[in-house]
Amino acid sequence: MSYLLDPDNWEWLFTGNNARFIVEGFLINLEIAVVSILVALVLGLALALARLSRNRVVSTVAGLWVDVFRNLPLIFLILYFALALPASWKKAWESSVPGWAPEAFQSGLVLGALMGLVLYNSAVLAEIMRAGIRSLPRGQGEAAAALGMTYVQSLRHVVLPQGLRRMVPATVSQLITLNKDTTLVSIIAITEVMRRGRIVTSSNFFSDVQAPVLHVFIFIGLLFVVVNFTLSRLSRRLELRERRRTGTRLQRVRGLEDQIAAEPT
Amino acid sequence: MPLALIDVLSDHLSEFSSGFWVTVRLVVVSFAIAMTVGTLVAALRIAPSPWLQRLGGVYVEVFRNVPLLVLLFISFAGLRRGGLDISAWVAGTASLGLYTAAYVAEALRSGVFSVGKGQIEASLSLGFTYGQTLRRIVLPQAFRTVISPLGSLTIAMIKNSAIIGVSLLALPDLLKQARIVQSRTFQTDEAFFWAAVGYLLLTGAVTLAIRNLERRFEIRR
Repeated sequence: MSYLLDPDNWEWLFTGNNARFIVEGFLINLEIAVVSILVALVLGLALALARLSRNRVVSTVAGLWVDVFRNLPLIFLILYFALALPASWKKAWESSVPGWAPEAFQSGLVLGALMGLVLYNSAVLAEIMRAGIRSLPRGQGEAAAALGMTYVQSLRHVVLPQGLRRMVPATVSQLITLNKDTTLVSIIAITEVMRRGRIVTSSNFFSDVQAPVLHVFIFIGLLFVVVNFTLSRLSRRLELRERRRTGTRLQRVRGLEDQIAAEPT
Repeated sequence: MPLALIDVLSDHLSEFSSGFWVTVRLVVVSFAIAMTVGTLVAALRIAPSPWLQRLGGVYVEVFRNVPLLVLLFISFAGLRRGGLDISAWVAGTASLGLYTAAYVAEALRSGVFSVGKGQIEASLSLGFTYGQTLRRIVLPQAFRTVISPLGSLTIAMIKNSAIIGVSLLALPDLLKQARIVQSRTFQTDEAFFWAAVGYLLLTGAVTLAIRNLERRFEIRR
């Protein structure tokens, strides 16, 4: 305890650029999370629709794809893509990334990380979306068809607006998980917050003040707690407001995200 | 290609199988820790004292929002540098167990709350003691609602156990062994294929077991 609380062991936080160096690394994690969740949402919707397709072959293939990718460890996927992607793909990525993209995205390494994060999370989100859509009474889709809407129209105007609303809390909690999972890309040598933490502890980077591993990673952990706690509070507030506004308790998709969201109370 | 696939497995069967069992052991030990600590934290969260409730709440919010990798760094490298001689096994299973305990606590708490207050009042007014009410009315029903969240937590745990092996802890679990085979043979696809089979076997087995349990304890209304 005295080791933990000894002010000498916290001095690193206020010397040199240590704190700024780590917080900037943390922002890289957030950027990776945001990019991944956006792509994963699009891909996840496509997978969910494919899985709900009336074409047997399409739905079986999509189902197999989703089940495989959501049951493999994410770290496994990241490591695999980092090792297996041909160098030409990484080169192609490096030359096609726009110059205004954040610095962390300029390296070809990030391609493997993004592929792992996106494939894994799109599979998880696809299950959440499918459950959201399936939880609607059948009559909704049938009524839309009876009104003469095409399949695409009924999706756009009837099914998706209701189904997707039911998956908001599950998606937010998946985003929190994804946020934490971005630390895994440190394993394939992307200098995000974990790597930066190690740099700070290993070499007295900015000054000759010793930065103990324990204290540096407690600080990094706190950054995640603050952001993720805020996110889950925000999602809870939104849901409560919605419940008040509509006066009903909408049925929610539950249990399909990685780690199940807390009930709003 | 399929031949190379089989060759990699038969040449490195001992690596893959020992890695598989290390993963299984990691998950079993962490599960035990997660259930024990999770039950304690859930008890704190429904305790009559607001201070205890708050304590449970802080535990849940901290361990649920912090990345597992950070916990691993803190518990292994961090504590070692601080002078505490902690082994990779202890640090790995404790991190995964304590991390998952936060989710277990939430699942148990919502399971207990899923039993209506009216039932508890009814059973108390029928002359059941508090202990009897808990044992005969609340827990059997709570158990049913808790099966499926605990199942998905177990699956998440299997997947998260892979983080222990490849991060700084030198634990030769399935993914780690696949890496070792890969670095020796340079047959990335083949080595990772068999690791994937191992993980899918585990998650598949748990999925089936949960489905079975759910069917057996189904609530018919």
